[in-house]
Amino acid sequence: MKEVPLKIEHDGKWIVVKAGVGEDRISFPAPVEKEVLFKSVFDLEEKKNVLIISAKGTPDVILRIASVEKVLVILKRLILANCNAYRLMAYFMSPAIRGGVLAKDAQWEKGSIVVVKTGIWFVSATKQISIPLLDVAAIDLTKRDVQGKQTDVVRIDHVDSGEVVSSLVLCPLSTLQVLVNFLKDTTKGMDMKGNELDAVAQQVAMLVYSGMDSHAIENMLNIPHKQLDEIYDRIIQLEIAEVITIRREVQLTTKGVRYISDATKTQTN
Amino acid sequence: MGTILIVDDTLFMRTLLKNILFSGGHTIAGEAANGEEAVVKYKELKPDLVTMDVVMPKVNGIEALKAIKQLDPGARVIMCTAVGQEQMVKLAIKTGAKGYIVKPFQAPKVLEEVKNVLAS
Repeated sequence: MKEVPLKIEHDGKWIVVKAGVGEDRISFPAPVEKEVLFKSVFDLEEKKNVLIISAKGTPDVILRIASVEKVLVILKRLILANCNAYRLMAYFMSPAIRGGVLAKDAQWEKGSIVVVKTGIWFVSATKQISIPLLDVAAIDLTKRDVQGKQTDVVRIDHVDSGEVVSSLVLCPLSTLQVLVNFLKDTTKGMDMKGNELDAVAQQVAMLVYSGMDSHAIENMLNIPHKQLDEIYDRIIQLEIAEVITIRREVQLTTKGVRYISDATKTQTN
Repeated sequence: MGTILIVDDTLFMRTLLKNILFSGGHTIAGEAANGEEAVVKYKELKPDLVTMDVVMPKVNGIEALKAIKQLDPGARVIMCTAVGQEQMVKLAIKTGAKGYIVKPFQAPKVLEEVKNVLAS
């Protein structure tokens, strides 16, 4: 076991401890006094520089750990290689498309795909990329040109900081099918029939996706504010969109008109 | 900032691109609804950049790209492909496209790609 310094959340406070990290477990001295076998870990999340490790136990153990990147990289590698998860060896490209623009330096990397309780991890010798399942927008089995040959791949779209990012996974077709079914099953709460919106509402959703604001949408589709508001109500109800800002339209009162008239007089005199 | 010719067979996509590009400070040189019209407009308007849809009636985007490149080997053309048509990108690269965007796209990324291609 190697001793590594890290911060761990204990009784609501962050404390510095020297944790023992082995090939199959991590242990924490007093006051934490816990040992977690990597094979009992069923979830691993990364939020900024904090790793959240969930492991089976009575009750389940949830550890929040912060450390320097080098330590976190080693921990993630060990946990993802040994944890209780759906795992397959594959080639992946992530990100392949970001915001609709193809990533020009994207390359296929050999590694593994690890699906834990709340996320998908792409792991290679140089990368550890995590996609929270809640952020997954689409999963499709599609074809892609790989070395001049049309090849079956899985495309996973997820939302990252407001941008849609597509990642691709390449492995034998039977495994891809299993992966697609597994991921679709895991994210089925987000599935829609596709006929919930009429043509105009679909165009509104597409324009929102492209970054257009309400004013631009009204002008582009030539629809009144009231109609757009009703469409917004519908897509919010369907949980397709959420309110980020409420803008107000105002008109001047008599006092305001007088103020502006006076101000104009002052400027012109 | 540059003058841009938007080529797409759907009015909706042309309007969307026009709004995005206008918001980025670009000037819309003109619009075309198919590849044939795109080549005619390119000759006439000589824009700094063209956004070209791939699947269009009459003359498709790849054929129009070839024709524009014959007229002007230095032409800057960004191809717009739908999801699932990414394989067309390889053909477009061979033909001389400078950039690629995949529909549906997001405004900041489109503007970034346009900026990169205009700077090339």
